[in-house]
Amino acid sequence: MRVLGIESSAHTLGIGIVENGRVLSNEKMMYQIGTAGLIPAKAADLHAENVHAVLREALSKAGLTLGEIEGIGYTMGPGIGPCLRVGELAAKTLAERYGLPMAPVNHALGHIEVARFAAGFRDPLVLYVSGGNSQILAIEGKPFRHYRVLGETFDIGIGNMLDSFAREAKLNPAWGSSVAKLAEGGSYIELPYTVKGMDFTFTGLLTAAGDKLAVHRHKDVAFSLQETSFAMLCEATERALLLTRKKELLLSGGVAQSKRLNEMLRLMAAQHRTRVYTAENQYNADNGAMIALVAEKMLENGMDARPEKCTTNQKYRIDSVRIGWR
Amino acid sequence: MALKKIAEGAEAIIYATDVLGIPAVVKERMSKSYRQQTLDEKIRSERTRSEARILSRASNSGAAVPRVLMVSKYAIYTERLPGDTLNRKRLSESERMRALKRAGSQLALIHNAGITHGDYTTANILVGDSKVWVIDFGLGEMTSSVESRALDVLLMKRSISKEEYKVFEEAYSAGVAGREALKRVAEIEKRGRYQARTLLTA
Repeated sequence: MRVLGIESSAHTLGIGIVENGRVLSNEKMMYQIGTAGLIPAKAADLHAENVHAVLREALSKAGLTLGEIEGIGYTMGPGIGPCLRVGELAAKTLAERYGLPMAPVNHALGHIEVARFAAGFRDPLVLYVSGGNSQILAIEGKPFRHYRVLGETFDIGIGNMLDSFAREAKLNPAWGSSVAKLAEGGSYIELPYTVKGMDFTFTGLLTAAGDKLAVHRHKDVAFSLQETSFAMLCEATERALLLTRKKELLLSGGVAQSKRLNEMLRLMAAQHRTRVYTAENQYNADNGAMIALVAEKMLENGMDARPEKCTTNQKYRIDSVRIGWR
Repeated sequence: MALKKIAEGAEAIIYATDVLGIPAVVKERMSKSYRQQTLDEKIRSERTRSEARILSRASNSGAAVPRVLMVSKYAIYTERLPGDTLNRKRLSESERMRALKRAGSQLALIHNAGITHGDYTTANILVGDSKVWVIDFGLGEMTSSVESRALDVLLMKRSISKEEYKVFEEAYSAGVAGREALKRVAEIEKRGRYQARTLLTA
């Protein structure tokens, strides 16, 4: 079937169209965070102003008209309330106008499933790293088929940690890729390292790195922040890998775009003869196609929702979602 | 000292060997090529020292844990004990209940000594012919935190049946610290995060 997906959980407004698991278009527009970070009301306004233009762009790239779309998916959560609302409202309007079935999609599930389908993995261990989330997951059959969270951050997501540091270091734009650039050629200084089994925390590390900015070269702090936090993720993932004995490892989410994290994770996985797959960057960054892909699976499996039941949930957890497909 | 690999974990390899004729096991923390060398050496040496200290303290307070024979920078040598872990050993129902009762009273001793285990599952309860030991303090901590104690109890609770937990809990609860921790277990189970998230057992 032909399904249109709308993603608006944070800084990106993305609209993608898929047909039988194939991506026909994947258009987006991004809120520019500058040095100030994301201001929710401003981002939501920008999404609302541009949703029509991005929709037109996605349809034209796919060579379709709205009348040819057979289902609508949107991001229900997790995400930023005012931003999520824009996508929900746009989806409801289209569904109502064209009499289309609707699927409310979990954002994290979108990132993970788009990567899993592309990799052709059946039963991987997943490291999902984004702004608001950092989780280690695996599919479990009971009490219903879902992604079980084996380990996760106890406080903030690694992406938000890197973004906060970027703001403190006055980087522009203030996010992770700028930290990666600054880190080039840096040398290692000691920072706090906190892993508890398969869980980890980042706020102590962030505070310490912020303090070090006053006394060390910024590139050394940026380098050490990356090395320390990525090593924490690798250790927790390695423990999960040995415990679950999985032979496939999937890396997805915004921070999966980090070259260094990929390199470290692959070094670790090679020790255990585990195959690693990282999604293309267009799917690691927030996008509409991943929402459309999961929405299509949901609609095919009778998991559509009535428009009046469609809401948003800022803290929508992935482990509460049933996956009714292979 | 000949070494024979018997197990491999995420951070360490376990070998069988002997120290001056005494049957021993070595737990050696391996270097990880993905992390900075300074960080790698620090993590391995600090954890090795900490685990050795925890084992000694547990042993001094009367808990049944393997005795430490020797410690090097990245390796701990402990006495080799006869038996198999509770998750693997074939036992009759009454033998299994007896082992879980011991697991409960041992955890109370460990907690009273100011230690938490960090991975208290049936995979880390070693059952011999007439004795039960607690092994692998690799995730252990020197702490009297009620929360950490409750997590030890909770992890075991998730790895055994309801009837088994009853026996375990009764043996564990014979003390003020135990009662406090059990109250916290009930609180943790009510938290949203843990309702959604089930703890994995080895």
